Parts: sequence; structure tokens; C-alpha cells
Amino acid sequence: MRNNDVIVIGGGLAGLFAAAVAARQGRKVRVLAYGAGALNIGGGIIDVLGYGYDARPLSSPEAGLADLPPEHPYHKIGRTALADALAFFQDITVAEGYEYQGSLQEMQWLPTAAGTLKPTCLLPKTMNPAVLKQTDRVYVVGFDYLKDFYPQLVARNLQPYFKHQTFTADLCSLNFAEGRDVSSLDIARWLDTPEGQDSFLKQLKRKVEPGSAILIPPVLGTQPDYTLAGKLEAELKCRFVETAALPPAVTGLRLRTLLLNYLKKQGVIVVEKALVSGAMVDQGLCTAVMTENFDRQRTYQAKAYILANGGFYGGGLVAQPGRVIEPIFNIPVAAPEAQEDWSNAQLFSGEKQQFAQLGIQVDEAMRPLSADGSILLSNVHVAGKSLGGYDFCFEKSGNGVALASAYQAAISC
Amino acid sequence: MQKTTVVVIGGGATGVGILRDLCMRGVDAILVEQRDLAYGTSSRYHGLLHSGGRYAVKDAEAGKECIEENTILRKIGRHCVEATEGFFVRTEADSEDFEVKWVEACSKVGIPVIPLSVQEALRLEPNLSPKIKSVYRIPDAAIDGFRMVWQNAASARKYGGRILTYTEVTEIENTNGQVTGLTVRNTISGQTDKIQCDFVVSAAGSWAGQIAQSAGITVNVQPDRGTLIAFNHRISSRVINRLRPAADGDIFVPHGSITILGTTSSAADRPDDTTPSSAEIVRLLDIGHALFEDIRDYRILRAFTGTRPLYSADPNAKGRGASRNFVILDHAHEGLKGFVSIVGGKFTTYRLMAEKVTDLVCHYLNVKEPCRTASEDIVPDPSAELMAKAKLYFPAYGTKLAASRLGADGLERVVKRMQEKPEKSQLLCECENVTLAEVEEAAADSTSHMLSDVRRKTRMGMGTCQGAFCTYRSVGAVDANGLSWGQDTGGLFKEFLQARWNGIRPVLWGNVIREAELTRGIYDATLNINGAINNEK
Ligand SMILES: Cc1cc2nc3c(=O)[nH]c(=O)nc-3n(C[C@H](O)[C@H](O)[C@H](O)COP(=O)(O)OP(=O)(O)OC[C@H]3O[C@@H](n4cnc5c(N)ncnc54)[C@H](O)[C@@H]3O)c2cc1C
Ligand SMILES: Cc1cc2nc3c(=O)[nH]c(=O)nc-3n(C[C@H](O)[C@H](O)[C@H](O)COP(=O)(O)OP(=O)(O)OC[C@H]3O[C@@H](n4cnc5c(N)ncnc54)[C@H](O)[C@@H]3O)c2cc1C
Repeated sequence: MRNNDVIVIGGGLAGLFAAAVAARQGRKVRVLAYGAGALNIGGGIIDVLGYGYDARPLSSPEAGLADLPPEHPYHKIGRTALADALAFFQDITVAEGYEYQGSLQEMQWLPTAAGTLKPTCLLPKTMNPAVLKQTDRVYVVGFDYLKDFYPQLVARNLQPYFKHQTFTADLCSLNFAEGRDVSSLDIARWLDTPEGQDSFLKQLKRKVEPGSAILIPPVLGTQPDYTLAGKLEAELKCRFVETAALPPAVTGLRLRTLLLNYLKKQGVIVVEKALVSGAMVDQGLCTAVMTENFDRQRTYQAKAYILANGGFYGGGLVAQPGRVIEPIFNIPVAAPEAQEDWSNAQLFSGEKQQFAQLGIQVDEAMRPLSADGSILLSNVHVAGKSLGGYDFCFEKSGNGVALASAYQAAISC
Repeated sequence: MQKTTVVVIGGGATGVGILRDLCMRGVDAILVEQRDLAYGTSSRYHGLLHSGGRYAVKDAEAGKECIEENTILRKIGRHCVEATEGFFVRTEADSEDFEVKWVEACSKVGIPVIPLSVQEALRLEPNLSPKIKSVYRIPDAAIDGFRMVWQNAASARKYGGRILTYTEVTEIENTNGQVTGLTVRNTISGQTDKIQCDFVVSAAGSWAGQIAQSAGITVNVQPDRGTLIAFNHRISSRVINRLRPAADGDIFVPHGSITILGTTSSAADRPDDTTPSSAEIVRLLDIGHALFEDIRDYRILRAFTGTRPLYSADPNAKGRGASRNFVILDHAHEGLKGFVSIVGGKFTTYRLMAEKVTDLVCHYLNVKEPCRTASEDIVPDPSAELMAKAKLYFPAYGTKLAASRLGADGLERVVKRMQEKPEKSQLLCECENVTLAEVEEAAADSTSHMLSDVRRKTRMGMGTCQGAFCTYRSVGAVDANGLSWGQDTGGLFKEFLQARWNGIRPVLWGNVIREAELTRGIYDATLNINGAINNEK
């Protein structure tokens, strides 16, 4: 049996990035992952902080950091580690040939499939919203069989934000689609093929003028690679901007592939379909974790463990009436007793939702704390959505917290 | 100002039933509903087509009405009825004496009851607790409230009936004690209008007291809350009733792929006091445990609440109507001619209630035409030719479902949309198998004013994902067809998701909270539909 320095539980963005950071620290790392987590549905758009506590938009992601309450993960991680995390993440994307652009000093307002703009921080080059301002004509292009992107709606809703650009909507037809329910992932796969590219180009050439921008759902190939976009842009003499859009998240799939490629080169082992079912703990030290498979139980040991198994969606937190359970270590998670206090009567109330902020409390080294503030497990570090103290939807901070907390957890191992 | 002979107030089962009956007898009529059809108790209920077993002991007459209407509705409303049959199950906590009384009472009322061994019952319904003591089969069935209301409405319109939704009655007008018309208010725009008529029938359910009051008449209706849980499983293939005197949490009704458990009882503040509480849910789960031991592991979809119109007779009132199950109050006895209220009853007996009121109205109007609703199908079956055409567009398993949902005329219009644009046959709602063409058809109906109205007509957004995926698609589809009712798309998103949220919030644990994280992730984190935008943009 191989000796591990670090075992990471969870294969979402937090888990994969924590593994990358730990590997850079020279650690032997193994990831136990059960599914791709929110990456495949939420996508590869890295929000850091979009809105302040008063629900007002921030001028830059860093502008809101100072006002965060003490229980917020960023408050514990600190600005320096956050910046280091983003920088290292960007280094990886550059090394893998799929650079993410952006910084803590600049808010990027990304168009969405609903024709709104959302504040975010790091984006692939094919999602650069600045491109829209460098032209006077924007074509919003959808696909006849794609029901998850309505170009007229996007064009009409975005137009008021762009005084110097004219938005028009158009549809390309998907000649493979007849009678099928098509997602943006199907179209991305189609555009991976030469036939798909040819058909798409032919149709676009008839529709768009050179020098324009083309706003499309995220369909420019399934791979973390700008070759396809570059080729299409050169042929059309136009620039593409992919929007934020509904699941399945093609951008998240690309990012996952990128991270897995990178981890492989660093010698990190990623064990798929490994559902961690429990842990052995001895006097505040985790000595092993167990995985449950259809065939048998396995035990994995390491010096340190990173718990990155997500929130309610990922499975890292489980809710029952009036309480929240962390299923692997049974770390206590405070929750309001009355279920009515878990949420606001309005879904979109302009206030944070209480249930979204439920999660594990940690110290500066991301170690889990008990209700009285003492460290529960000294060699377990928590990262990602199972952390308490933030509402990623309200703040627009999900993947930013995942990266920063993963970084902090890994360097604290 | 519109003119008609009769105005029916209330777009629940009773109201549409009356409208249809009046129109079938050639009486000119308009139905007004303050929100959408089936907005009231007729969709916030169990969906049980009672065999009468529940009432046999306490109220034989109600039991008899149920079994008779049950037999009729299975025939004329077959597209809305799933003939599941039912079990009455006694657990160890329930009295044996009552069982004996119940069997006797059923036989007296004429409800066929067949005893079954526990072993056989468990073979047929393996999720039932093995601790149950005795079991009887009974002709219960499941009935789709939305669909029943819509098909009645469609039929009434075919006979010339008019339906005005989002139209609230604010005043009943009279001259010298004879009704002359109504004042109505559009509940979306706030505009008021008048309708001239000779006769007003109030079928306003829990609101009947308020309506009567607007004419200065007292009708003692106390709305009473009943909360229900929808599970995302077919826990049993049959309706399961607890064999004991009617109490809370003792009926499970399967509908398609879901099961509804209920109900509770507590005084409501208002007729639309329909927000379920978590305490009610936890209690229902505790009670339901006696019949299904794994109940806490079943995935909950949402919770909802309806209000029953509890009627207590005013000792001074005259002119008591047909049965103890429901009452018809002819307010001519209180000095207002041309105004009748119908209160109480059950969904199961809506047709009978409609028949009795319509008889009374026709008597006053001197209309001799007899009632035909007990024998005439609510909507005709689609022709074999139309079904064959539909099969070209719907997924194989979806044709029959769509035909039941839409009726022959609706199916014809939807198939036409698909013929014109084949991409419209794609599923917009995968959970409930609803196509783009159906959503467009429902959105284009004159009674639709927001996406929730389209949901009630199609079931879109009522399945597992509770709108996570179909909200965007339906907003897009409605918008692309220029049907957005003058609202911006942000408003459309929020209205639909908020309506789903009302039923999710009280059960925010287990898979429901998981789904809620996903839905917020899509509409808040990804699409930022709520978000303010930087001013300089
Ligand atoms: C629909 C949606 C849209 C979003 N959009 C954005 C966006 O645009 N920008 C942004 O910044 N953020 C967005 N987010 C938020 C962001 O995706 C998450 O906050 C972040 O990815 C969380 O990452 P994570 O690794 O902590 O959790 P997850 O991605 O949930 O990963 C948890 C992982 O742990 C695994 N796991 C769980 N239990 C076990 C176990 N017992 N054993 C082994 N493995 C286990 C899971 O299978 C999964 O692989 C979105 C989220 C959603 C749901
Ligand atoms: C929890 C629960 C479970 C039930 N389960 C069953 C069951 O399984 N089987 C069964 O047979 N029965 C059941 N019932 C009873 C049944 O649901 C009702 O008796 C039936 O639906 C009543 O229909 P209705 O048309 O009379 O009233 P409603 O459906 O309430 O219709 C009244 C309508 O009037 C409208 N209205 C009110 N005021 C105005 C106004 N001023 N202007 C215009 N319109 C107005 C309202 O918006 C409403 O839509 C249940 C009831 C409850 C509460």
C-alpha cells in the first residue's frame, strides 16, 4: 500500500484544486471522489465576490472583502491567501493551455442566458465580456433545437446595457438534432467534429459581418483548449463570447478535464467512484477513512485529510428536520431548530438565505471547530461548499471560496 | 360591460361544473374567478375520488352520494380518473369495534367492500407495514383536480360559456331585492367593470361567506386548513386509507408517479391561508409511519395546503338544500332574489352539486331542459386518425398521456403546432413529459396571465425538479411567442419560482434542500435574475 501524505475527500473544484496545491507542496496526494460535484452543473466560472452585504454590486471583488463578518471563510483565509490561490489557479490554466483571465481588482460582468449580467472574477478567454464593447455589432446566436438558450430574450434584455452596440438575435440549425432533446453539451460535442465546425461556419458566414462579436451559449468544444475558438474566429473575423448558461455545464467540464490532466502530471492519484463512508478517529486525530464500494470496503490512511465533499448538493452536508449532519466525521453543524427559520418566505428576497449559510465552522487552518470553538480534528482541513458562513448565490462567491479554502486547507496540512 | 343571464362565482370544480351544466341546458352564463381556474381548494386537495367508505359510518347519505358519483365520474371523466381501487387498512393502534361497524355501514350504503388477507395485501402493496391487522378492498380512485376543472371548462366553452379569470367579484347589485348585476375588479390591472345579469350563483368555496357578505347576507363558512405532502414516489399502487374514524394523516393517494399524504385540520385565518407549516409536515410523517414504516426515507417533492369551507347552519336561515354533505342557500328567503350560494360538499360530488343548483336556477328561469351531465362525456375521445397523427410527434409513451391531458380538441391544436414546427415536439418539462407545443398552447389561452397558469394547465414544473430546468425554458418559449402578458422576463422567472418555493420551504431537508441548492445555483448564481447591476453598465 502506497503511503499518502494527504487524502482529499471529494472531486469537485475544491477537492481537485486542494490536491493540486498539496502536490505543489511536495505532498503525496490521493483524491477519493464520488462524482464531479457542482462542476458539471455550475460550471467553470470563478466568482469571488460580486455583492456586498447591502446587496449592492461591488466595484471589484476585493472591494467587499474588508466588510465580511468573522464567520465568512474569506475572513479566515485572508486576502493574501485568496490572491495566492487565484494566482496559482491561473498558473495552472496557463500551464495547461487554457488560460483564465481576470483579477481581484476588476469586476467582470458576464452576460447570461437570461440576458442579465452577472459579476464574476476569473473567466476563460472565450467568455471575456470586454470583447462586446470593442465592436458595434453583437449577434446573439442560438440553435433551433436548443431549448436552453433563447437568443431574442438575451438580445433584448442586454441591449439597454450597451449604448454603443446593436444586438440582433439569430438561430443556427442543428442538422443532427431532429427529434432529439439537445443540450449545450451535445452541441459542444458536435463542434468537436469537423462536420459540425463546417456546418456552423457556413451558417454563420451568411449571418454575421466581420468585425462583430458573437454571443453564444457555452458550446465551443468540450476540451480546455482555445484552438477551436481561434480557428472559427479567424475564419469569421469575429470574436466569440460564451454566456453563463443552464446545466449541463460545458465550461465546468472543460475545467474538470484541465485539472485532472494537471493532477495526473503531478502524480496525484484520483480514485473515482470512491464514496467515503466513515473515518477512524483517535484522540482528535483522523487515522483512516473508509470507502464503501459495491464489492468491498477499503481503508485509506494519510498524515492529513482534506474534507471537500460539498454542501447539500454535493453530499457533504445532510439535512433533516431541524438539524444538519456532516456524515463522515459527524462534525457538529449548528442549524435553527424551527424549520421556518432556515429560509426566507421569498426565494429572491434581496437577503441571504439562512440554509445556504449552514455549514462547518473552522479556524484559520480550516480545521473543524466544535460549538465552543475548540479544534475537533487537528489533521482534518475543510474546503469548499461544506463550510458555513457564506451564501454563494447571494454573494456570487462559490468557486472563489472553493479555490481559496482549498488552497488554505492544503498549505495548512 | 358584459351581459348574461347567470354569473357563476368561483372557478373550482363546483363553479365550472355549474357553468357547464347551465350551458348544456342552453342558459347563457359567465364564470368569474378571482385568480386562475383551480386556484382554490380544487387543486389543494387529496385527489381522492371517494368510494364513500370514509363517510359510511358517520354520514350514510354522504357515503351514498360518493359511491354514486364515483361510478358516474369514472365514466364521463375517465381522462381525469386513475382507477386505482383502494384499501382500508387497520393498524394495531385502531379499534376492532370500529372495523365491524364500518363493514356493516358500507354494506348498508351500498359500497362494495371485499376483505383481504394481510398476506395478500402485503403482496399487492409491499411497502405497507407488516404490522397491519386487517385490510379491505374498496372502489376508491385517484382524480386529477386540475384536469377535471380544465376539461369541464373546455366543455362549457364549447357550449357557449364564457370564463373570466383574474376577475374578482366585489359587489352584488340589486334593484328592489332583485339581482341586476355585479361589480368586478381585474386582480392584475386593478380595473373595475360591471356585468349585467339576472342571476348569481356563488360557488366560492371557502370564500362563500365573503361573497354573501358583500350582498349583506350571512353565510357561516369557516375556512379550515388541511395540509398535504406530495412524495416523489408511487409508495403504493392503490389508495390507502386508515381504517378508523376519520382523523388526520390517514389517506395516501397515488397519482401517476407521486403519492399524496394528508391531511390535517386547523382553523384558517383566511380562505387563502395556504402556507403549510413544517410542524404540520412532521406530524403527518409521524402519523403516516403506522401504515408505511419507511415513510421518512421517501423523497418529498413539496407540501401544500387547502382550506375546506366548514359550514355551520344559521339557525334562522330557511331553505336548506339537498343533503348534509352540501347545502344550497336560496337567498330569496333573506330578501335577495336571484342569488344562490352553494357551500360544502366534496370534489367527488361536484357534479351532483352542480346539477342541484342548476335545477334550481332553471326552475326560476323557467328552463325545462333536463340535466345531461351524468351521461355525457366531459370531453370526447380523440379519433383514431388524430391519435395516429399525434404519434408522429409525441414520444411513444407520451401520446396517450397528452391525449388525456388535452382532450380531443386540445390535442388537435397541439398537433397542428408540431406539424408546423417539428422542434416544438421537444420536451420542455422532462419530469412531467410536457412538450414545447403544449406550453405554447396553454400560454396562448385567454385565461393565462402568468407562468403558474400554464403550469396548472400542463403540469409543467410539478415533477422532480420543481422548475429547476423548465422555468428558463418556459420563460423563453412564452417570450419567443410574444405571449409574456406585458411582463419583463425577470418578473416571469420570479413568479413561477416563488410559487414552487412556497411548497418547498416547509420541507427544506433531504433531497428537497439539495434540489433547492441546485435551483438557486441556476437562477441566482448563474443567471443572476435577482441581481442588481453595476450602475455604470
Ligand atoms: C447550478 C449551480 C451553478 C453555479 N454557478 C456558479 C458560478 O457561476 N460561479 C461560481 O463561482 N460558483 C457557482 N456555483 C457554486 C460552485 O459550483 C460551488 O460553490 C463550488 O463548486 C463547490 O465546490 P466543492 O468542491 O466544494 O463542492 P462540490 O462541487 O459539490 O463537490 C463535492 C464533491 O464531493 C463528492 N462527495 C460527496 N460526498 C462524498 C463522499 N462521502 N465520498 C467521496 N466523495 C464525496 C461529490 O460527489 C463531489 O464530487 C454554482 C453552483 C450550482 C449548484
Ligand atoms: C386538504 C383537503 C383535502 C381534500 N381532499 C378531498 C378528496 O380527496 N376528495 C374529495 O372529493 N374532496 C376533497 N376535499 C374537498 C374538496 O377539495 C373541495 O370540497 C372542493 O375542491 C371544493 O371545490 P369548490 O369549487 O367548491 O371550491 P374551490 O375550488 O375553492 O373554488 C372556489 C373558487 O372561488 C374563487 N373565488 C373566491 N372569491 C371570489 C371572488 N370574490 N370573485 C371571484 N372568484 C372568487 C376562489 O379563487 C376559488 O378558486 C379536500 C379538501 C381539503 C381542504
